[in-house]
Order: sequence, then C-alpha cells, then structure tokens
Amino acid sequence: MILFSYLTSALRGLLRQKRYLLINLMGLSVGIAAYMVIMLYVTHEKGYDKHIEQRDKMFRVVEVQNEPGVGNQHVAITMAPLASEMKNYFPQIKETVRILPAYNIAAVGHGDKLFRETNMICADPSVIDMFSIRFLRGNESLALRKPKTIVVSEEIAKKYFETVDEAYNSVLMLDNVSYRIEGIIENQPTNSHIFFNIIISMSSIEGTPGFEWMSSWGNNSLVTYVLLNDELQEQEIESGFEKFVKDKIFSTDEGWEYLEMYLQPVNEIYLKSNHIKFQIVQVTGDSKIITIFTIIASLILLIACVNYINISLARSVKQSKEVGMRKVLGADRMSLVYRFISESFLITLIAILFSVGLLELVLPEINSMLGTAFVLDFREPLFNIGLVILLIGISLVSGSYPAFYLSRYQPISVLKGGITSVGNSGILSKSLMVFQFAISIGLIFSILMINDQIKYIQKKDLGINYSNSLFVFFGPDDYRKLDVLKQTLMQNPAVRSVSGASFLNGVSGSQGPIYIDDSVRTKLTVRYGYVDHDFFTSMGIKLADGRNFDPTRHNDSAGVVILNQSAIDKLGWDDFEGKRLSAVSDDSTRKPYVVGVIQDYHYYSLKTIIEPAAYFYDPSRFNGVNIKYSSQTGLTEIDKYIESKWKELFPKTPYRSISDDKYLAESYRNDLKIRTLFVYFAIISLFLSCLGLYGLTSLLIEQKTKIIGIKKVLGSPVRSIIVNLVKEYMILVALAGVIAIPLSLLFIQRFLDNYPYRVEISLYNILFAVTSAVIIAFITVIFKAGKTANSNPLEALKYE
Amino acid sequence: MNTTMLKTVNLTKIFRTDEVETTALHNVSFQIQTGEFVAIMGPSGCGKSTLLNIIGLLDNPSGGDYYFLGQEVSKFTEKMRANLRKKNIGFVFQNFNLIDELNVYENVELPLIYLGMSSSERKKRVEATLEQMQIMHRRKHFPLQLSGGQQQRVAVARAVVANPHLILADEPTGNLDSAHGEEVMNLLAQLNQNGTTIIMVTHSQHDAEFSQRIIRLFDGQIVNENIMNVKPGISTQNAL
Repeated sequence: MILFSYLTSALRGLLRQKRYLLINLMGLSVGIAAYMVIMLYVTHEKGYDKHIEQRDKMFRVVEVQNEPGVGNQHVAITMAPLASEMKNYFPQIKETVRILPAYNIAAVGHGDKLFRETNMICADPSVIDMFSIRFLRGNESLALRKPKTIVVSEEIAKKYFETVDEAYNSVLMLDNVSYRIEGIIENQPTNSHIFFNIIISMSSIEGTPGFEWMSSWGNNSLVTYVLLNDELQEQEIESGFEKFVKDKIFSTDEGWEYLEMYLQPVNEIYLKSNHIKFQIVQVTGDSKIITIFTIIASLILLIACVNYINISLARSVKQSKEVGMRKVLGADRMSLVYRFISESFLITLIAILFSVGLLELVLPEINSMLGTAFVLDFREPLFNIGLVILLIGISLVSGSYPAFYLSRYQPISVLKGGITSVGNSGILSKSLMVFQFAISIGLIFSILMINDQIKYIQKKDLGINYSNSLFVFFGPDDYRKLDVLKQTLMQNPAVRSVSGASFLNGVSGSQGPIYIDDSVRTKLTVRYGYVDHDFFTSMGIKLADGRNFDPTRHNDSAGVVILNQSAIDKLGWDDFEGKRLSAVSDDSTRKPYVVGVIQDYHYYSLKTIIEPAAYFYDPSRFNGVNIKYSSQTGLTEIDKYIESKWKELFPKTPYRSISDDKYLAESYRNDLKIRTLFVYFAIISLFLSCLGLYGLTSLLIEQKTKIIGIKKVLGSPVRSIIVNLVKEYMILVALAGVIAIPLSLLFIQRFLDNYPYRVEISLYNILFAVTSAVIIAFITVIFKAGKTANSNPLEALKYE
Repeated sequence: MNTTMLKTVNLTKIFRTDEVETTALHNVSFQIQTGEFVAIMGPSGCGKSTLLNIIGLLDNPSGGDYYFLGQEVSKFTEKMRANLRKKNIGFVFQNFNLIDELNVYENVELPLIYLGMSSSERKKRVEATLEQMQIMHRRKHFPLQLSGGQQQRVAVARAVVANPHLILADEPTGNLDSAHGEEVMNLLAQLNQNGTTIIMVTHSQHDAEFSQRIIRLFDGQIVNENIMNVKPGISTQNAL
C-alpha cells in the first residue's frame, strides 16, 4: 500500500514537472537504446562458433615461423601430414581434422545448372563430428570416407535439385568431375569463423596429381584442428611441441630452421586472430573493438544515469517538502529511500519501454548501416533477463544517491518553507558533469582522429591504381585463351586494358622462399605474384629499374623474374644486373634472371606492411584477368558486356567478377563501421551530457534565484549575472578537456597501432574537441541562465 | 482527565554554527495536562517554533528533560521519535505542508498508512474525518486546487485522522484571511472540547484567546503564564 502511495506521488510529481520528466526519459531512453545496440553488436560478435559443441576442447594449430626478409609470423595453416602425426604422437589428442578450401574449383553443375561456388572445402571425415554437422539425409558415420564423394548443405541441394531427396545420392559435377552426394547437411550457421556449404572428401584429392604437396612437410596449405580428450591438456601438448617439431619436422629435408607451434582455442579464433598472418577464415572480428565498445556502452549508460542523479538533485528542493512531511507523519528513512528508488524504477521502466520502441524504429537503419541483422528477440530468455538486469541496475545506480541524499532531510529543516540549497551535492553534481563532458570530449577527439586515419588510408597513394578495374576469375585451363579474350574484349573501346594476373593485386596470396644464385645461396621469403606484361602498366605500378615482361621474348614466360623494391632492399643489392635465382620455392629447375624492379606498392590494405615480392610471367598460374575500363563507363554496364563475351568464350566457367575498388573497400569495412558507430556514440554522449548540463544549470539557478533577484533589485545588469553563471561552467568543461585528452590519447594511440601507416596526433583535433564541447555547453547554459536572469526579480523573491 | 500529557524540566536548545552560538531555549520548564488547549506566544525569534519542534518530537533538546506521556524522551533517536510521534501527535502548520502530489483523500490517509492500518479501516476513518471537517466533497482535489482555508482544513483532518493525543499547531491561521482563520480556530476548539490536547504557537492574541492557558516566551525563556477566562469554542469576533 505504501508503495502505491509512493508511486502515485512519484508519478504525479513527475507529471507536474514535465520538463524534468522529459529530460530524464529522453536521456535514459537514448542511453539505454544506445547500450542495447552496442550489446546486440557485442553479443553477435561473441556468438561466433557457438554451434561447435566440443569447442571448449577444440584447437587450431598455429605455427610461428621466422622467415628471412619477413621476420616472425604466426601462420594458422599447416602441413598436410601434421594432423595424423600429431594424433599418433600425442595421446591427449582424440581426433584431428584438416580443412582445405577448394578455391580452385571453378564450376559446379547439375544438368543445365552451372554456378561458381565460393564456400567449398575439402575435409577429413572427422569434420562431421568435430564441427557438429547435422545430417538431414545420409549416414554421418560413413560419409566423406571415399574419394569423389561430397556432402552438401540443404541450400545447395535445393539450388541444383528439385528436392533434398532428389539430391541425396545424386551426382554433382565439380569442374567436370562427378562427385556423389553422400549426405545432405543442415545449412551451416554464418556466425562461424569458417563457413562452407559443400564438403569434398579429402581422399578425393590426397595422392592425386597436383596434390603431391600433401605428403610434404614443406608446404603449409591447410588448417589443422585438434580435439583433445580434455581441454586442460592444451598445456601438455604445447610443452611437447618442441620435441615433436624436432623429431618430426626438423628431421625432414624441408629446410626448416626455426618453427614453433601452439594451439589456439577455437573459441578465440573469431575475435583473437589479428596477430595471425595466414589463416583460412570467413571473417574475423576484433576483441579489442569489443572491449572498447563495451566500455563505451557502459559509459553512455553511466552518463544517462548521471543525468538522472543530477536532475533528481535539481528537483530535490521541491521534493524536500514531501520528504519532511512524510517524516513528520512517521515515515522512517529506509521507507523514503524506498520511495525514491521506486521512482527511479518507474522512470527506468518507462525509459526501457521507450528505448525498445525507439530501437524497433531505428534498428532497420542501423542494420543497413552496419551490415548486420540485429533483431530484438523477446522470445529469447537471455534478452529478457538482460532487460530486467538493466532495469534493476539502472534504477539502483541512478536512484540510490538521490534516495539517500533526499531521505536525509530532517523534517524541521524543510517544514518552514522547504530547503533552498542542496549544499555539498553541488560539488558532486559538478564532478559528475566534468566526468560526462570528459567522455564526450574524449569521444569527439577519438572520432576526429579515427576519421583522419581512415581518410588517410583511403587517400594515400597505394602505388597501384584500383579505380575502374574489374577482376574476372578463370576456370581450369582458361588461361590458354587469354590472348583471344584480350582481343575480344579490346574491341570494345570502353575496355582500356586486359591483363592476366594471379589476382587483382598482382600477388597470389601465397608466400615462399626464393634462393639467390650466389655463393651462399641467399634465401629470401617473398610473396609470389604471377602477372603478364600488361599488368604493371595498366594498374599504374611504376618500374623502378630494368624492364617489364616482354611477350615477344620466349624466355620470359619461365626464365625471368621481376622483384619489388622491398626485395631488392632486403637483399641489399645496389644493382641487379646479372643476378639470377637458383631456385623458386622447391623448384630448382628454373633459374630465372632478375630483369626488373618495380616500385613498392600496397598489394594489401595499409594495415599491412609491404613485404618482398617476386613476379613471374607464368600464365598457368593466372587465376583470372584484370580489366581496366573507361571512367565514362559504368561498372554494371561493363560487367554485363564482359559477361556476355565470357559466356561465348568460356561456356563451362560460370562468370564471376569482382570490382577492385570494392575489394579494397572491403578491407576497410570494419574501420568504416567503427567510425560510423563512434560518430553516433559521440553525438549521443554529447546530447546526454547537454541534457545533464541543462538539469544541473537548473539546479544551480534554483539555488541562486534569490541572489539573482536581490542583485536585480539592487540594479545589477542582466549581463553580469549571466557572465558569472556561464563562467563557472566553462571552467568545468575546460577541466573536463584537461582530463579527457590524455586518456583519449592513450586510447587513440592503441587504435593507431593497428595501422603501420598512420597519421600523427593532431593538436587541431584536440582543440576542436574541447572547443566544440565548450561551445555546446555555453549554448546550453546561456539558454537556461538567460531565461532566469531576464525574469522579474519579484518572482524570485516571492518564491523564496 | 487530569493526567500530565507532557512535562519539560530546564529544557535548553543551543544552535551552533562555526562561529555563532545561539541559545534558542533556556531552562524552559512547564507541564501540560491532558485535554488542555495551550497557546505559546512571543515575538519572532523567541524560540516558539523551536519549543514546538521539541515538544512534537521533531528535534531533541540540547539539555534538560522532556517527559512525554510519562516517558523521558530527550535522548531518543530519530527512529524512536518517529515511532512515538506517528502514534500520538498530529501537526498543523502555517503553510499547511500538504503533499502537492497527493489528493485530499490521500493526504489525509497518509498517517494511517504509516500506522499500518488496513485499507478498509483507513477508508472508514478518512471518510469520517473528511465529513467532520466538511471537506468530503473535495476529496479528489489536489491541494493546489483548494483555497487556503480548505487546505488548512485538510491539514487539520490529516492531523486528527489517527486520533492523536496531542495536536501541535504552528501558527495555523498565519496564511489565512480572517474568515478562514476563524473557521480553523473553531475546528481546533471543537477538537479540544472533544478531549484532544492542543498546543498552538501563535502571534495572534485573537487566536490565543481560544486557548485555556498562554505561555509567553521571550529570548528563549518563559516570562509569563496566563490562565484564560474565555471558554474555548466561543467565537469572540470583537476580541481584537
């Protein structure tokens, strides 16, 4: 009953002071909504790989290599024999699985249906159990054991066949080879570090021509996962790795001089793999970003709570009478604490309802902005528990201080006209305000720096020109028709150039050694690139020295190599005249001459440094063609044109193209997302801080109404009254800046550390962040102070 | 009937700030019998309200003894005072001190809620009191929708609804015009006739004449005690 009386008076009191109610609700709703968005994001990011039931006992093998010219690198792809050797060597290992992406398969077909599939893998049969794959048709314990067998997802089955039943036990053609569908599996979740919809049995390739490397300890191409009997055995295995590597790997003649290994928990692959240079993943997240977002979400929520506290204190002058009277009538302190907590509970509840409504409105926008598919799922018990925790947490955090503060009033001190000042709470309120503005300033500054960095990497000359170009993927042996393709496409004046290449950036993605034909057989680890004579010129890559490939010279296709400047620098050469390689990778039959040096260009994003690279004119390794088109022509238009020609020339290879620009943009997708989110965080935190400031100004001015009235009666000009009020706050906001800047410098430095090529900390940004906060705060205070200072002094004196 | 409601012995109250020490009450001793109507008078700052606060168990004295219903209470904690207060004392203030957010009915009901009374019992009592105070028709109104006189009647209703032994009135007519003031004084007199002890602080000689005894304070000390001849409950318009 007493609760009812409390809620009634709380609700009516709030409705009577609608402005405060609005400020409180707006602040809390926006704060909670922002918090929920971030938490949806964090939950999504943390939700990866949860479908793998044995994930706690599953690990990925990571190698630490030390390569000349490159240094230490973490590599999560391994040699093919590793899995079975490890299983034999370590009794703690229950099972292993090897996964190799089947990038090289260009065409999947059944009847007249022919597509290029991009999510195919080759795997050992143990993949089924280890990755918790469920079968809709077929026997999971027998599947993937025989050569030329596959399992496909329900989605793939329905793509090529009428029904799942029809697909089961039917034949699918992979690059013209028949594979029997042994099972139909459930569609795999997309929030998985590795995604596949067709699994080819490993025995289909192992031991066949072209896969000789699978018996070698010198080639790292596939991922090895291990399943332990017990998750605690990770340490035992890692401590045994040194001896294992020595016994099993160093003893081979593969030339290993340095190699370490460790196990990476499958649980950590998605979020904690930034240090890994080579890996096979669909996508990776970043635990640092998760931490930062979680902190920011909590700060935004805290800002909203601080507003509540400050506004409650601002209202306390008015509420003191109620407190006093209730105490006179016999209420004890705890019961009044209860009164104010129930008030904050009520407001928080309404705010949560508002924020849910708000989110329903803005989630589609957010999803399209971030490329996510967040939904508020009220059937999800965790979501509802989260809401309840939020409700209780916010009610307590924001309600406790005002509750204990207000309930402290002694009845006699308030009954004679109520209290007029809130004493020491002024210091607390101001500290809280400094805290809020410090966060806002920190966020503004961070955004400016992040923005600068992103602009920098987008605008920096990469040394390669990706604009107006398109890469089209070959099928097997399609390279043989490269010349015909060139001639055909060049007939269209919109096509400026067509060049064969391993990929749009010129490199193949693989790394390996080259050996110099000198007395010590100097070894250098390089990125291999396979391009034709048109590639460098059409992509704007400049020759630093020597010559380009020359199709008229017969020897060029096998006997020459072009290095990049980094390779020359690492080798310490002044001149490459007469230099030749003694071997490339393990192929000592070729001894190519170095004929040219190209200037360094960024073949990956600016997040990685340029490593030594060696380019060969080897058409058999061209994975496709890079096509430059006129800037007057649209991408869709040219894409359609190429596709039509492609179908005539390569009827068996499904057309697949990728815009070079989009590929590059993809590597900055996460950075852009972070920038977008940060912009919103900053706007929200600044908005909330200003709401709080408005509340706080009201508090101070309510206390000073009498002073202002007296001053005006005595003839003080309005201006000096405002100046005094404003001055006090501007100093506080500036103080917030002094606190915020060093802290955000630390943060931004860590962010910039992700980029080898980065902008300098800008003094201008620091000044801008602080000044903009000061100006916004100034406008807020002047709005409130101006109104009071201009009011009739009699009102103020009567009030007292 | 003739028992002692309260008694003070050498009651002293000193207010201290960092630099100033003010003696608000100095060796104040008096006693009040059950059923009495006593007025406390004196100029501003003489300690009337301080005395009333101590009598009303809103504050503790700095020295001396205070016996309330035979119990020495001067060292009681806030919680003990609150407990004693809610069962025995009703308050009427100059500025009414109604809770703006609660309507007439809810304001009057409040003391009963703190006494833990059942809802049906509360309804009975509140309605009876509102009838008695002739304010029943306004029970859904909020304080700010009422005239000053009506508000003070609600405040009196709230003070008496729990049937307290003692009503403390601090300048109950101070904010009212003479007609409304008269109404409130008549109400208090009537309550006293029905047996409630009333202590009233007032500046008004007219109001004081409703009482049976006047205690006069000056600079924190009792300077005079008068027994009034005028019978309570009789309107004395011409007394001023």
